[in-house]
Amino acid sequence: MEGILRFLSYSGFANVTAGHIVMILIGLVFIYLAIRYEYEPLLLVPIGFGILIGNTPFLEHAGLQIGIYEEGSVMNYLYQGVLKGIYPPLIFLGIGAMTDFSTLISNPKLILLGAAAQLGIFTTYIGALMLGFTNPESASIGIIGGADGPTAIFLSSRLAPHLIGSIAIAAYSYMALVPIIQPPIMRLLTTEQERKIKMKPPRSVTRQEKILFPVFGLLLTGFIAPGSLPLLGMLFFGNLLKESLVTKRLADTARNAMIDIVTIILGVTVGASTQATTFLTPQSVLIFVLGALSFMISTAGGVLFAKFMNRFLSAENKINPLIGASGVSAVPDSARVAQTEGLRADPSNHLLMHAMAPNVAGVIGSAVAAGIMMSFLM
Amino acid sequence: MNLFLWIHLDPGAIKTENLMIAFIGYSVVFLSLLLLYLFFRQLPKLLTFNLRRKLRKEGDPEKAAIAGSEIPGEVNAAIATAIHLYLNELHDHETAVLTITKAAKTYSPWNSKIYNVTHFRRL
Repeated sequence: MEGILRFLSYSGFANVTAGHIVMILIGLVFIYLAIRYEYEPLLLVPIGFGILIGNTPFLEHAGLQIGIYEEGSVMNYLYQGVLKGIYPPLIFLGIGAMTDFSTLISNPKLILLGAAAQLGIFTTYIGALMLGFTNPESASIGIIGGADGPTAIFLSSRLAPHLIGSIAIAAYSYMALVPIIQPPIMRLLTTEQERKIKMKPPRSVTRQEKILFPVFGLLLTGFIAPGSLPLLGMLFFGNLLKESLVTKRLADTARNAMIDIVTIILGVTVGASTQATTFLTPQSVLIFVLGALSFMISTAGGVLFAKFMNRFLSAENKINPLIGASGVSAVPDSARVAQTEGLRADPSNHLLMHAMAPNVAGVIGSAVAAGIMMSFLM
Repeated sequence: MNLFLWIHLDPGAIKTENLMIAFIGYSVVFLSLLLLYLFFRQLPKLLTFNLRRKLRKEGDPEKAAIAGSEIPGEVNAAIATAIHLYLNELHDHETAVLTITKAAKTYSPWNSKIYNVTHFRRL
């Protein structure tokens, strides 16, 4: 009898709390959104399932080495890649190997939109300070506005490791919710006329330019913000593997097998890190609210800056301000949103190609912002 | 409800140092991407510098002016289509070569008595 009682005390039924149930429901919602509506399924399925793994109740502190926060558990070992900031650079390597920077090279002025759309990072940093977060915590929360999951994880692993779970979940959730969050802001800040602007087709880009981009891109950004080197170094390295055309096998591995493996492990461990007992705090809710604000401000920053640039551009070089919203680096979702909104205003206006330029510039911009925050606050 | 009570906005928590971090941080992001913009705007001219100098030396300033100028994607698409169509027309030649390859059809009912015997038996 004693054995049965002990067994029951170890079971999930004996250890379940309201928090566990809430988190399990959140995990199920993530999985539902991913499968039913295909919202970022590659991220939300691993994260959602990770939430289920992390929130299946068990007897904590019994030395079972099961939980992600228990030393010696398998999940804890996998989680070290998140805590030590190992996974984000590997993901950036894969992103670099699959990104085509041609549109950016052909119309380099669109790079500036990627810078403008980082506004949310710095304004939210100030907002988080006002709410009582510490300096490093505020910077980690602000980076959610960059809409770049790996960058957010990388910065918070360095500045505020105790907030990684909330920040990562917020960043990835908002990346998945790009099609819902961005359009109202885009419509609010642009006129019908502006949404109909047709942009000049991009010029062709030579192989030489494509090869020089990662090399000089790294040197120029790396010299200014060395803190961004782990991310940008890998991003540009991956891109050189792709564009050199002589390392096809390496590029293929980086953009397929490797990024898939890392995404799976990263997604599951980040999801599992949301263990109810450590995750469900008022602080986490605040991080979610601040993250949403940061994301909205960044979107607005990109759109408004595109409108500002239009004041100085000739009629044939005008920019459709909708693509400013793609300056947040949720690749390629925010570019897709710009395309959809453009088609809504004029069914013959295809903006996807143009929107990819600020989109990939946003990846660089948010990584530079993370590097700067690190150099200021570490 | 508790959450709203817990939220406490304190503008006094912001020091000049924090504002400077935000301002300088945003400026540096802009500066680094501005540098990228300036560099890549000039890159096509740098890459064709030698060609333009050569053409100018050869006394062809018109071509020198055109060299390195932007070729729109539409023009490229037209050229690519033309090449594609041209190469497709060569297909006839390829089929001619293929027809001389010997095709061994040992199983054909036309050349196999046994095949006829086994498959078309009179009942």
